[in-house]
Amino acid sequence: MIEARGLSRSFDGRPAVSDLSFLVPPGALCALLGPNGAGKTTTIRMLLGLLPPTSGSAVVSGVSLPGTDAEGASLRARVGLLTESPGFYDRMTGWENLILFGSLYGLQRSVLQTRARSWLERLELWEARDRPFGTWSKGMKQRLALIRAVLHEPTVIFLDEPTAGLDPAGAREVRDLIADLKREGRTILLSTHNLAEAEALADLIGIIRQRLLEFGSPASLVAAPPRIEIRLGGPAAPFIDVLRSLTGVVAAAADGARLDVTVTDPARDTPNVIKQLVSGGAAVLAVRPLAPTLEEVYLRAVREPAR
Amino acid sequence: MTRDLLLLFLRKELRDLRSNKQVWPAYLILPVVAVALPITMLAFLPFVADPTRIHDPAITMLLESVAKDATLTGATISERMARLVLRDLVLFYLLMPVVLAASAAALALVREKEQRTLEPILATPLRDRDLLLAKLFAAVGPAMLVAWGTAIVGMLAGLVGAWWRLGTLVLPTAGNVVGLLLLSPTLTVLAALTGLRVSARFTDVPSATQFTGLVVVPITLVIVAVLGRPAMAYPLVGLVSALLVGLAAAWLFASNVRRFRREEILTKWR
Repeated sequence: MIEARGLSRSFDGRPAVSDLSFLVPPGALCALLGPNGAGKTTTIRMLLGLLPPTSGSAVVSGVSLPGTDAEGASLRARVGLLTESPGFYDRMTGWENLILFGSLYGLQRSVLQTRARSWLERLELWEARDRPFGTWSKGMKQRLALIRAVLHEPTVIFLDEPTAGLDPAGAREVRDLIADLKREGRTILLSTHNLAEAEALADLIGIIRQRLLEFGSPASLVAAPPRIEIRLGGPAAPFIDVLRSLTGVVAAAADGARLDVTVTDPARDTPNVIKQLVSGGAAVLAVRPLAPTLEEVYLRAVREPAR
Repeated sequence: MTRDLLLLFLRKELRDLRSNKQVWPAYLILPVVAVALPITMLAFLPFVADPTRIHDPAITMLLESVAKDATLTGATISERMARLVLRDLVLFYLLMPVVLAASAAALALVREKEQRTLEPILATPLRDRDLLLAKLFAAVGPAMLVAWGTAIVGMLAGLVGAWWRLGTLVLPTAGNVVGLLLLSPTLTVLAALTGLRVSARFTDVPSATQFTGLVVVPITLVIVAVLGRPAMAYPLVGLVSALLVGLAAAWLFASNVRRFRREEILTKWR
């Protein structure tokens, strides 16, 4: 489980993350979406205990943050991290790198070697294990970094931009592995720019730009508010005031011959909207419900002025 | 865990050394010089110590001072000179690990950052104290091994050289032993800790290297020269110096741990 309670972090007086509160239940995958500099990496670092928050607290895998040095070490033993860049030693082989980092998690040599072999075989990296890491492809490097993140069998995994810079095939491989990890019941916090990836993998999505702008399941984020699009035979602007005065109409906007109307209940309010337009002299050519995509929800959220 | 960790980082550094040919000269040239030096000096000693052949006033003054030096024994001026050469040569073995360890330590953290391996390391359960101890061990270990290995070979070469040129056995003095076994490791640890401090502060490899080369190493070499020379002549001075340097190193290690800022390293280094 990951629970953030009013987490905030400033650098030299400038806020990077403000008042972040959310809960990721055990076994759920939460995707943090946000533009560059939105505070996603800072959030992950705070939840890992690498950065102390300026204010607020968190509970990750049963460990309260901020905590003592020993609590921080205990937390890091229970969680896995995939950093934005793989972060291995180029001159060492893939196998040597994996054994080195696995040893830092205090794993027994025999256990470590068994797990490392099993993961390398599963991700089709076994044949390349004795080649220097610097000669590996980007996709292979990222897969090895994922193995490092799970080698000590953490209950909580933080993935910072896991598919950034990968080609479509490489990204797909990494996404499949993340889906497998989710199926195994691990709690995952994934930071990404890739909306399709978030929508496909996540149980929960948080849109962040310094503050948490939206948080919920992908379905709940794109469900509300219901909108309808109406195409007219002429300019739509003269009908805006009429629409805004109607009961059940939350918002209305005109764009040329197109009206974008947000209503409370589409089944009840749409016939009334059409009736009023027709009686007002509008030539209604087409009517269709508008289901917002995650992209629209995201763009609307991040473009809004800071609340 | 700590012992395993130290060996783990030592193995990693040794593996890195083995595969990084750029650093080989530093680990090869100094030992070669350190072994060649006593042989060369002893080879020319009979000529240098012969007042009938040398008319250089500086050498004459040196020979006079050697003749008066109560810490040197020997029936002839050549023998006394040989003892001086071999005794002071140990200073070179004191300097060598200091330079190697300070240079390695200066890169220890900044290079991890450059390779982007520091964040994954910091994300493991490793504590700051353990990380700094492992890095210290990895810098000091190879430097001391090289220094002691070279000292053994160099002193054997000196022994053979003195026997060959002067027909006398010149054994290491008590000051030599104290210097090599106590003062050298403590000075090396102090230099490496200073290098680590630099490495934790600087954000790029060239700056860390330059600062270490231009500031840390020269200052440490002055300390080595000031403490090392009397320590070679008077073992008690060596013992007290080693103790004081050891205390300074312990303080510096504690200070390094206190001042190690994960936060600064993660957020301000680019």
